[in-house]
Amino acid sequence: MKVKFVLAAFLVASAMSLGLMANASGGSKDAAKDSSATPVSAEQSAQNENMRLEGEKRFRSNCGRCHAAPPKFPPRMMATIVRHMRVRATITDQDMRFILRYMTE
Amino acid sequence: MMCSFIRLRKVAKAGLLGLGFLFSLALQAQDDGFKAVPILTGSTAYFTRVTAGQYQDAPTVSPLLLLPFGDKWLVEAKGSYSDTFSKNAQGDYNGTISYGMAYAQIDYIANRYMTFVAGRFTTPFNIYGERLAPNWIRALQTGPLTSPVTSGSGLGGMMRGGFPGTESLNVTYALYFSSNNTHHLLATDRSTGGRLGFFLPRQGLEVGASFQQVLQADRPHSSGVFLEWQPNRAPLTVRSEFVRSSGTKGSAYWIESVYRLSQIPSLRRLELVGRGEQFFAASNLSAATVKKLGALGKDTNEGDFGMNYYLRSDIRASASYGRQFVLGRNANLWTVGMTYRFLMPMLPQGGAR
Repeated sequence: MKVKFVLAAFLVASAMSLGLMANASGGSKDAAKDSSATPVSAEQSAQNENMRLEGEKRFRSNCGRCHAAPPKFPPRMMATIVRHMRVRATITDQDMRFILRYMTE
Repeated sequence: MMCSFIRLRKVAKAGLLGLGFLFSLALQAQDDGFKAVPILTGSTAYFTRVTAGQYQDAPTVSPLLLLPFGDKWLVEAKGSYSDTFSKNAQGDYNGTISYGMAYAQIDYIANRYMTFVAGRFTTPFNIYGERLAPNWIRALQTGPLTSPVTSGSGLGGMMRGGFPGTESLNVTYALYFSSNNTHHLLATDRSTGGRLGFFLPRQGLEVGASFQQVLQADRPHSSGVFLEWQPNRAPLTVRSEFVRSSGTKGSAYWIESVYRLSQIPSLRRLELVGRGEQFFAASNLSAATVKKLGALGKDTNEGDFGMNYYLRSDIRASASYGRQFVLGRNANLWTVGMTYRFLMPMLPQGGAR
C-alpha cells in the first residue's frame, strides 16, 4: 500500500515537473524573441498607438460597465483574467484581444 | 466494506493524478503570446448591517480559483464563507457560519463565437447574478428584490458567446440546461433557459432579454428584460432589470443609477448610488402559501441610497441607507463596511512575461 502511495506521489510530481519544464523552456523562447526585437518604424508606432486607443476604448466600454477600472497586472495574469471575463461577461473575441493588448502594454 | 474503501482510495489517487496533470497543463496555457497562469482572486468584506433595528456583523471571504490550461480551457471555482454575528434577545452576539459553492465550472472556448461550459454555474438570467453580484462589484450591498424570483444556479451544460453583429453592435447569447440536485449546499432545479443581449459600444448601451423554464414541480417559467447604459459625456451608469415569474414567485423590477464624482478633484474617488425597486407578489396566493413564501408572499417597495469611496481600485468603503415598505411592516436598512478584492498568481513566475 505504501509503495502504491509513493508511486502515485511520484506520478503527480512528474506531471507537475513536466509542466514546469515546458513552462521554463517557453519562457526562454520568449526571452529570445524579445532580444531579437528591432526598432519600430513611424508607421508601425502610429499603428500601435491606434491599437492602444482602440484597446482603451473597448476596455472602458466593456469592463467599466460593471466595475471600477483595475490597475494593469503582469501579462501572464492578465491573460487569465481576460479569459475569465470573456466567459463571464460574454466579451467578444475581438474585444478580448484588444483589451489584452491594451492591458499588457 | 473493504472493497469500497479500496475503490475510494483508487478514485482519490486518480483524482490527485488528474489534478496534477491539469495543473501541469495549466502552466502551458497561452493567450496571444502570453502564457496564462493559474491565479487566486476573489474578495473579502466586512459589513455591519442594521435591518429593522437588528444588528448584524458579517465578515465574508469569497475566493475564486482560475486555472487555465491549453489555449482554450479554463477551470473556474468560486466558494464563499461567512460568519454572521447577530444580537439575540439577551443582547449577546451569536455567530452563524455559512458557506457554499457559487460555481465550479470548466470552460472550453470552441471558437471565436462559442464557449461551452460544464459543471455548476450561475444561471445566465439578466445581468445581476452573473456580473454584479460579487460584493466588490455591486454598487449597493443589499441585493435587489428580483434575485429570489429565478433559479440562481444550474448544474449541467451551457453554451455562450458573443460576436460583432455590425461595426457598432455586439450580440451576446447564453443557453443552458440544468439538472435537478437536492444536495443542501449545491441545490439546483431541473431547468433550461437563456439570455440574448445587444451591446452598442458607441452609445454605451446594452439591452437584452432572458427566459427560464423550470422542468420540475409546478413547472413555472420566468422571463426578464435588462438595460445598462453609460452615456459618453457623464460618469454615470444606469442599470435596470425586470423579471416576471408565472408561478408563485411574483414579479419585480429595479432601477439603479451610479454617479462617480470624477469631475471634482477632491471627490473623484467617490460614487453616489440610488436604487428604486418594487416587488409584486403573485395574485391569488392562499394564506398557507404566503406564509411559506415569506418575503416573496407580500408586495414590497424599496428605495436605497448609498456611497462608495475607492481608497484604491481594489479597496472600497461603502455605506447605504434603505427604506423598505412591506404591508404592515416597514423597515430601515443600514449598511456600512469595506470590501477588498485580492488577486495573486499561484506560482512565483506568474507575474513574469
